[in-house]
Amino acid sequence: MKSIWKNYKTDIAYDELMYSEFQSRPVSHRLCQYLDSLKKEDIDKRKIAAELAIMEMGISFTVYSDEGNIDRAWPFDIIPRIIDAREWRIIEKGLKQRLTALNCFISDVYSGQEFIKAGKMPSEIINSSKNFRKECVGMQPRHNVWANICGTDLVRDKDGIMYVLEDNLRVPSGVSYMLENRVITKRVFPELLQDIDILPIDDYPTHLHDMLLSIAPHQDGPVTCVVLTPGIYNSAYFEHAYLAQQMGVQLVEGNDLVVNDDDCVYMRTIEGLEKVDVIYRRIDDDFLDPEVFRKDSTLGVPGLMRAWKAGNVALANAPGAGVADDKVVYAYVPDMIRYYLNEEPILPNVPTYLCSNPDHLEYVMEHLAELVVKPANESGGYGMLVGPHATAKEVESFRQIIKNDPRNYIAQPTLSISTAPTLCKGKLEPRHIDLRPFILQGENTFVTAGGLTRVALKKGSLVVNSSQGGGSKDTWIINMEDS
Amino acid sequence: MLSRSAERLYWLARYLERTENIARLVSVHMNLLMDLPMGVEMGWKQLILINASEQEFYERNNVANERNIAKFLLADPTYQGSLFSSLTAARENIRTSRELLPDEAWEQVNEMYLFAKNNLDNVMNRRSRVLFLNEILKGCQRFTGLLSGYMSHNHPYRFIRLGRNIERADMTSRILDLASLLLSESRSEELRQYETILWMNILKALNALLMYRQQMHSRVKGDDVLNFLLLDTNLPRSVGCCIAAMSECINNLPNHNDLPLTIVELESYVQAIDTRQTTQAQLRSILDGLQNKLGGLHGQIAENWFLRDLAE
Repeated sequence: MKSIWKNYKTDIAYDELMYSEFQSRPVSHRLCQYLDSLKKEDIDKRKIAAELAIMEMGISFTVYSDEGNIDRAWPFDIIPRIIDAREWRIIEKGLKQRLTALNCFISDVYSGQEFIKAGKMPSEIINSSKNFRKECVGMQPRHNVWANICGTDLVRDKDGIMYVLEDNLRVPSGVSYMLENRVITKRVFPELLQDIDILPIDDYPTHLHDMLLSIAPHQDGPVTCVVLTPGIYNSAYFEHAYLAQQMGVQLVEGNDLVVNDDDCVYMRTIEGLEKVDVIYRRIDDDFLDPEVFRKDSTLGVPGLMRAWKAGNVALANAPGAGVADDKVVYAYVPDMIRYYLNEEPILPNVPTYLCSNPDHLEYVMEHLAELVVKPANESGGYGMLVGPHATAKEVESFRQIIKNDPRNYIAQPTLSISTAPTLCKGKLEPRHIDLRPFILQGENTFVTAGGLTRVALKKGSLVVNSSQGGGSKDTWIINMEDS
Repeated sequence: MLSRSAERLYWLARYLERTENIARLVSVHMNLLMDLPMGVEMGWKQLILINASEQEFYERNNVANERNIAKFLLADPTYQGSLFSSLTAARENIRTSRELLPDEAWEQVNEMYLFAKNNLDNVMNRRSRVLFLNEILKGCQRFTGLLSGYMSHNHPYRFIRLGRNIERADMTSRILDLASLLLSESRSEELRQYETILWMNILKALNALLMYRQQMHSRVKGDDVLNFLLLDTNLPRSVGCCIAAMSECINNLPNHNDLPLTIVELESYVQAIDTRQTTQAQLRSILDGLQNKLGGLHGQIAENWFLRDLAE
């Protein structure tokens, strides 16, 4: 029988599970033993079983295209990605440290701006930020936490070090896929999960609910939480419904809510109006409240900002938190950690060149074909240039784009991001992956055990976004001490 | 509970009930036609008459044969009243109210939808159609059973029950409409010979044959069947039972305003029907009246609980 590992290449990047075609890393010994014990047909069968489960569970995401919106089944690779718990504990600490500093920074930006006054960051960066909301100046959300839910993207470079690629502080998505991936793995490899000590993840909805309760404007008596979705046509609608269901709270759309003259938020129920205390909103700031932000928004709730500012409702994440979700601000996070917490950053940033800085810009222009250039405020992998993979023409056109709007672009060295074995036509092949853990901060801080591992399914591709041909894997944090 | 959620659950239940009814109707009709001699006036066309969809059928087809009618009623995604359209609408409604229902409820409907979607071509030939319909019927039953066993019998459940029963009452009245055709004075001698078989199939369409025998202790007779299907208080698909179920839901829902009154009126309208004293023409007009009243009840439910502005 031909081995599924035949010609498995580990020389292109750091491989998370394998030293070579013939040798697994300690974290993946058990997994590899198990896979070797299966016949090739068995592995195919498991893959088919996983696909069937995904169809039946209706795990989908929506892709926008010219032919309209298509609901696609979630692409999932059955081979898990594994991280040693000892390494994870350090990463977890680093993530908590990072979000704590980011929240200090956001609070500071909307109050005294001490960080800027201390000369740590040029004030233009904030003044020119699309996501700085002047309406939020002076606000003090409970626990002084603005970003309650954060999805931080991590990648491992060829040196084996985990770097922070970006912090998603607006409406990060993907946690439902993380949870469903584990459900599928339990169905597909039940024997395997029994033998390995994997940290559980399914307590996330409980922690999310606790966090939301902890930020309620009043702490006496029952609290009503809701999840606010833009509706069924949003690409993450599945997740919104999933989280609402898992927490046992209402999933509402903008027109289910109303703000009355008392500046309180109510939802329209069969029993009349019912007061809402906490809103986990999955709508961008821009669309949140047509009275304040985009006037043409039909997704939001007129008066919501009024209610929030009056302290009658908590919004997670707080409006304006996105000011720190900016790839230019990102470059300053290590300094924020030093400034606000008086600590050294546990997780390193990827070196970042700011095109608004003349010296950096010059370097970027000279090395454009080697760098990754990203717009400061986009998500989903749109509007990027991956220098080494681009044509000369694309590089030149990007040169012009950057010159026209340097504030909005950053550049980073092209990382050789790590790979993990992925099932491709009955064989295992290395595919590039990243990791998005989710961090919750309210009264307490919580980090998911692992996160969502996204995988670029196309050979050689570095883009892991589901909208662009990416898939995902279950992520195992395993205790090695006893084994 | 959100007004919007109430509306979606109500429609979810209506569409699923419709899916089940169409499946049962086609399946029973197929059996009936196998029993009847060639050339009697009963045919596949009757199925389009029940659904009052002649016009829509002929916009899409030239010939009213078994193949076309089965395809139209079961698989045509452009015809709103088809089984597949109903199932698709049910799925859309549950997809947007997942947070109120057990996980398995969504999975059940989604599974059934995927099955239907992958097997639409199988409805053309009889053998595979039987299997198709059986699978759908089982799926609908699983859904109902699952909710009754897993879900709290709370407000969301009441809206589901309300939707199911109004749709059911409507379908029962339509099936009786078909039955009234059988009573027409002009029916052929040949058809008269097969009357018992026809009435038995009417009962089967509502899964009521066994219950009829146990209850009525008589052979299957037209007016007894009508009586049973309209007024019996124990048969889940009788109009009387559906109304009783709706009454229970409505009385337990908040802010029901004038609705209990409407239900009482509807109840007395049905109670007053005396099937032994009616001609075929009278029966048809009574059933028409019943369908109109059900339509009115639906309007009142929607106005009372679903229309957002009234909640303010």
